[in-house]
Amino acid sequence: MSIMELNGGSVIAMVGKDCVAIASDLRLGNQALGLSSNFQRIFPVTDRIYVGLPGLGTDVHTLWEKFRFRVNMYTIKEEREIEPETFAHLVSSTLYEHRFGPYFIEPVIAGLAKTPSGGVKPFIAATDLIGCLNFAKDFVVAGTASSKLFGMAEGLWEPDLEPEDLFETISQALMNAVDRDAYSGWGCVVHVITKDKIVTRTLKGRMD
Amino acid sequence: MASANGGAYSYSLTVFSPSGKLVQIEHALAAVSQGTTSLGIKASNGIVIATEKKSSSILIDDSMVDKVAVICPNIGIVYSGMGPDFRILVNKARKSAQSYFKVYGEYPPTRVLTQEIATVMQEATQSGGVRPYGVSLLVAGWDINRGPTLYQVDPSGSFWAWKASAIGKNMVNAKTFLEKRIEDAIHTALLTLKEGFEGQMTEKTIEIGVVTVPTTDELEHAKTSPETGRPKPTFRKLTEEEVRDYLAL
Amino acid sequence: METSFAITGKGYVLVAADTTAARSIVKMKTDEDKIKILSPHLLMAYSGEPGDTIQFSEYVERNIRLYQIRNTLTLGPSAAASWIRRSLADSIRSRRPYAVNLLVGGYDTSSHTPELYWIDYLGTLTKIPFGAHGYGSYFALSLLDRYHDPEASLEEGIATLKRCLDEVAKRLVVSPGKYLVKVVDKDGVREIEI
Repeated sequence: MSIMELNGGSVIAMVGKDCVAIASDLRLGNQALGLSSNFQRIFPVTDRIYVGLPGLGTDVHTLWEKFRFRVNMYTIKEEREIEPETFAHLVSSTLYEHRFGPYFIEPVIAGLAKTPSGGVKPFIAATDLIGCLNFAKDFVVAGTASSKLFGMAEGLWEPDLEPEDLFETISQALMNAVDRDAYSGWGCVVHVITKDKIVTRTLKGRMD
Repeated sequence: MASANGGAYSYSLTVFSPSGKLVQIEHALAAVSQGTTSLGIKASNGIVIATEKKSSSILIDDSMVDKVAVICPNIGIVYSGMGPDFRILVNKARKSAQSYFKVYGEYPPTRVLTQEIATVMQEATQSGGVRPYGVSLLVAGWDINRGPTLYQVDPSGSFWAWKASAIGKNMVNAKTFLEKRIEDAIHTALLTLKEGFEGQMTEKTIEIGVVTVPTTDELEHAKTSPETGRPKPTFRKLTEEEVRDYLAL
Repeated sequence: METSFAITGKGYVLVAADTTAARSIVKMKTDEDKIKILSPHLLMAYSGEPGDTIQFSEYVERNIRLYQIRNTLTLGPSAAASWIRRSLADSIRSRRPYAVNLLVGGYDTSSHTPELYWIDYLGTLTKIPFGAHGYGSYFALSLLDRYHDPEASLEEGIATLKRCLDEVAKRLVVSPGKYLVKVVDKDGVREIEI
């Protein structure tokens, strides 16, 4: 019994043209027994950043509460909103603080960074449970269905997808990957972040 | 008992006088106003901080004396007052900047670092067994949010943002002088220093630090290729040759 | 073996817990109340390691009361559940963790909604329409998937709950003999005979 697979759950993030998407399933289980079909593991950090926290259920909450605290303190102290890249480093150092007794979470970060010329630049990153950062240009995956998500994303993703196409791509990748994973599924939530709005959709999935 | 915040039996040296003043802080300010003049000027494209460095003996190797200190690639500070106290604050500020970098992967904005130093200085006015720092600081830095900013920090721990300021021996005159002309920052700095400068002003007897505002182009470039190494520092000290050239102009 | 259930309905939460206090294979007591009343509109069914359950549930009870005295204000169900979750999450990473599983049911007097939270000894928390702990959960959850109705009246809710208890009695080898049932709604907490 792996502690990373006790409660199940998966997260994926993808880069599009001036947009990013992050999506997760909604299952919380106790090994093979499903407990909840509405377990949110993606949280809004700022208006432009979302973080997904797949892994051990208790740590999903504990870690999110920690990030929320630290981001709030940052915002008050610096009188500005945190940038995605800075937040990724904050996530990394927070996890590494517990190097020898880690939180069993592999976070996924998606957001839009501000460029000096006033535009936006898509940003995604993922870390392992002790905070080793992985900056990717295309997509990142994590959770019990990560191996299947790699396969789906590798096949479906293409560069410069518009928000609507990115939504379709990430949704198909996630839904089909979690259907092949016993520990993920039971519905999905998808967030597409663009310059002027965030579109959140909840998807119905197989309930088996 | 030797701890900085004092044991149960240590008393703060900084206590209110019956008239409501903290005399120790006023004494610290007196120490600052006896110190050599330092000044800072903000311009549209950067900031200049400068100070006199006159040594008490010709035998001192003045090329090894540092009065303008680099804290991190985007921030530098200069002081008036007690040299040893400044050194302690420089060390603390550098450490603070590095621990910020360790967490966020970028150096602190000027405002945040200034606040950090100010907190250290304030603590010395409320702790047992310590005296306030005998320095005023000018903190010059650049960051993406506020651009170039210039702060002054006093022994009390209070700080302000300035367009131009002077601290130390000649500060009242220097400030009046600065109020009259803010144009070319480096030249104004040199002229202000010259006011009330005793003896010859050469590249050996002054120090200058400058903040240069990066262009949008440079910023985009640094952002898109982080693997090309360290970003170009926005704060740097002028070399003796550069100072000489400016003095010759 | 220890089993607890809880279901929400129209304006109420029903909580049921078995009444056996067992040690090894021996039943020591068959009228144990394992549902604590934390505040006028808050219930908590607990199960797990015998010593821990008493210690932890009383710790929670006292702290919820303390909050009420300090602030002349009662914690709502979601705030109480968050606080309890944090206590268990801190506990699981301590030298000797509490092994306690909980179902926290309450009636939110400000939004007038019944709320139910599933919490385990790790500090895992999730808001649910119905839930269970112990071996009974393997039988009851699938049954509730079929019969649970969030708009059910209290009578219908009790009938659904009875189905669960009967199913467990019928299929579980080590099924408990007796249950205690409590309900929380707009009028507060009360015990129900089934």
